[in-house]
Amino acid sequence: MKKRKLSAVVVLLLIVGLVISACGTNDSSGSNTGTQASGGSNAGPKNSAAAGTGDKYDGNEETPVKITILNSKGQIAQVFEEAAAAFSAANPNIEVEVITVPSGQSPFERVSVLYASGTPPALSMLDAGDIPKFQDKALDLSGEKWVNELSSPNEIDGKTLAFPFAIEGYGIVYNKAVMDEVAGGAFDPASIKSLSDLEDLFKTVEAAGKKPFILGSMHWSLGNHMLPLAYVTQPEGVEQFLANLKAGQVDLASNGPFNGLLDTLDLLKKYNAGKDDPMAVTAETIAAEVATGNVAMTFNGNWMISQLEDVSPNGEYGFIPFPLSNNSGDRWNSSIAVGATKQMFIDKTVNTVEQQNAAKKFLEWLVYDETGQDYLVNKMNIIPAYKTDLITTDPLGKSIQSYMASGNTLPFGANYVPGDHSSTVGAIMQKYLVDKVDRAGLAKELEDYWKRVQ
Amino acid sequence: MNEKTRRGFWKNQLFFTGPTLLIFFMVMIVPFLYGIYLTFFEWDGISSSKPFVGLDNYAEVIRSGSFWGSMWLTIKYVAACVVLINGIGFLLACLVVSGIRFQSFFRASFFTPALIGGLVLGFLWQFLFNHFFVSIGKTYGIGLFSKTWLGDETLAFWALVVVTVWHYAGYMMVIFIAGLMNIPNEILEASKIDGAGKLKQLTGIILPLMVPSFIVTVFLSLQRSFMVYDVNYSLTAGGPYGSTVLVSMHVYEKAFRSYDYGVGQAEAFVLFFTVALITLLQVYFSKKKEVEA
Repeated sequence: MKKRKLSAVVVLLLIVGLVISACGTNDSSGSNTGTQASGGSNAGPKNSAAAGTGDKYDGNEETPVKITILNSKGQIAQVFEEAAAAFSAANPNIEVEVITVPSGQSPFERVSVLYASGTPPALSMLDAGDIPKFQDKALDLSGEKWVNELSSPNEIDGKTLAFPFAIEGYGIVYNKAVMDEVAGGAFDPASIKSLSDLEDLFKTVEAAGKKPFILGSMHWSLGNHMLPLAYVTQPEGVEQFLANLKAGQVDLASNGPFNGLLDTLDLLKKYNAGKDDPMAVTAETIAAEVATGNVAMTFNGNWMISQLEDVSPNGEYGFIPFPLSNNSGDRWNSSIAVGATKQMFIDKTVNTVEQQNAAKKFLEWLVYDETGQDYLVNKMNIIPAYKTDLITTDPLGKSIQSYMASGNTLPFGANYVPGDHSSTVGAIMQKYLVDKVDRAGLAKELEDYWKRVQ
Repeated sequence: MNEKTRRGFWKNQLFFTGPTLLIFFMVMIVPFLYGIYLTFFEWDGISSSKPFVGLDNYAEVIRSGSFWGSMWLTIKYVAACVVLINGIGFLLACLVVSGIRFQSFFRASFFTPALIGGLVLGFLWQFLFNHFFVSIGKTYGIGLFSKTWLGDETLAFWALVVVTVWHYAGYMMVIFIAGLMNIPNEILEASKIDGAGKLKQLTGIILPLMVPSFIVTVFLSLQRSFMVYDVNYSLTAGGPYGSTVLVSMHVYEKAFRSYDYGVGQAEAFVLFFTVALITLLQVYFSKKKEVEA
């Protein structure tokens, strides 16, 4: 009897031990598919993913500190981890753990979950539009060295609360080899200054036997990149325009930039290489078609360089501005929308002062240290948001930097829109893409959407 | 521990079921109750202010046209899935126990889709629908396949049904096989002697004796199709243009994309209530039809 009881206890302890060790594994890149419909926002005590807090060390600089960094740029996940390792090697008392949010997932959601479970990262990379929501949790960085070096101020209510990690821009991407061949020499993107210039260009490419354009049907491309070009080119400025839209005071159907944008979109639809089945054209398709040279141009941003290089490692590409009118004199017809899309803030609520200082050190390392700069600019293909002589190595990044240098830029519209703009307005734009709704219908649906936004 | 005394009995029970009960409580019950608590507040998930709004969130759920639209779409989806999963599962089970050659191989291969995770399944079928079927359709001129099913609202809905049926039919088939094996052979032989044809055997003997299996499979397929999210997300992502947003996806988007936790949680609770009601009713009415062998 005794032996049986003992073995029962041993077996039970083993099972409990197995269960606890399984529950405690580190979930560093898990995705949060919301199948726990009734689970609510509480992640519960089972998921202690970040574990960046709970350090009980004194304020000594040299004592070991462990910080967690949240990276929400899926394309650079691996390089970012290498960069974190390099930083740790250079600063032996700081241990860095990287949490990656895969592309297409909401970084806001991940960070909210981490806050709810009491283990927020020391440094979190969010989309620019999400930063105001974290105002009361972000450390004031206005006193940092790099604030004066930023290409443009990054303030909310006069305080710098976040480090702009990456500048990104988008427009019409062209394959240089194809365009040079068609032009019979070097193709100059600055020659396209109006809608009719673009149409002539398409006709020239077609006459040379190549397909001029392919249009991706992704909701984030149509809804968050293309359409906001109309928001940022309004005479009263983007913020006032959006406030007017929310109040229901805008008549989009008669709005100049809006109609100009749709005229260009109509042209792109007409020459779309995928126009037999527009919704089947995905981000992968447009990258493959442009990289192989089957199609000369598409509409996307400098982040697609990694997909282009997967297909064709040494291709040369550049940006043509997206025309919004037929008037060559309009400034926006020669400008590229550019902005700091990803920003990093330091948590001041749960992370200790040592951890905050370690996070500040990481940011300084990225800006001032040679290895850090090399990682940021060359290996991650990021365009830095601060004044620097470094030029990125990838062709699309170089193109963006040249537009920035000449001052031909527009604000990045997606930074001003609410979180569901991409999926909801993107869906409406997709309906316009397949002609399920006409221009008047599109205008009305957009106005209805904005009136519902709080 | 001594089972003879009352205390001893309970100590024994707790010793073995205690850890699991505790984990279940912490992981399922506590978040559930916290979620219900959250439905009375307006919160965006991160801000420190959480004003109390009473039943406003529930009022908004009832008013919300898009939520009920998603719910209706989900009900249609569930109906299609339950009928097809059980029908096809049953047919496959009959096929596989009828003694044809290689039936163990068929048994294993029909079951395999159930082992694939929903996300992988969705991406796999997305490729099939977008590229594979389209190229077959174009080469052989089959109109139905020459454009991607995922670009049309009705066809995308049926694409979802197809993928879910493919996913679960094998799983239900295994349950049906167990049920079919349990039917005593003597009864079938006796009925054959009495002159019953195959159809009479099926409707008079096999189906009534299979009711317990059907209870289980209908319950499982109901519950799984109602709560589907992973296949919805990876196959159609709610597209085209938001026409295949099933109710779980609607809850997720409300809570995490529109940053409206209170309403999202209220919607989730309404969903839970609906599914619980439907499945309880289903089990109750089916139990009445159970027949002992």
